[in-house]
Amino acid sequence: MALESRLVQAEMVEAMEFPELSQRHRVSGVPQTTINDGAGSVVGAVPEANLVAEIRRVASKA
Amino acid sequence: MAEKLLNQGIVSQIKEVFSQLKEPVEVLFFGRKEGCDYCADTLQLVQEIVDLSDTLGLKVYDLDEDADLAEQYHVDKAPGLVLAGRDGEQLTDYGIRFAGIPSGHEFSSLIHDLVLVSSRDSGLDPKTRAFLKDLKQPVLLQVFVTPT
Repeated sequence: MALESRLVQAEMVEAMEFPELSQRHRVSGVPQTTINDGAGSVVGAVPEANLVAEIRRVASKA
Repeated sequence: MAEKLLNQGIVSQIKEVFSQLKEPVEVLFFGRKEGCDYCADTLQLVQEIVDLSDTLGLKVYDLDEDADLAEQYHVDKAPGLVLAGRDGEQLTDYGIRFAGIPSGHEFSSLIHDLVLVSSRDSGLDPKTRAFLKDLKQPVLLQVFVTPT
């Protein structure tokens, strides 16, 4: 998605190395994808359409 | 010479995957001198990976000494990696980053992402592409993973 849009940034975070950030986002299961610093979140491997739906939900609240 | 992190079996597998590489990719490594347990291993790992293809390059920076560049690429963690497209001297930041050592499952994610950035094509569903094209505000996706 980051490759597709200049507005999207994608960061893979190794949760064990950055425990403070992981705790702030209450990372319990991995992978966990957070959107805009916690505005949205999906736990587990997420199908493309589901992630789009979650981004849409976050965008509509903003 | 320091012992290699990648054994011969892995090297052959990566080389096979890297036969799909198309356009040049530059990996920007951001380390930190103190308090970075995984910087040295990450740098060695990435160096060994980029050495496997002429299409890949590596630039090494320091999060503190190159703070302006780190900010430009939105890197705030060490070790941090940016996978940028390279066209001659021109780098294109797609906003694709890794924070922390890419080992375990993330190792294959890194290899996959290098090929993806090299292809310059997300491979996403047309519906997703249409949605992304209409985005009006920035979206930061952070995928938390563990090395196992």
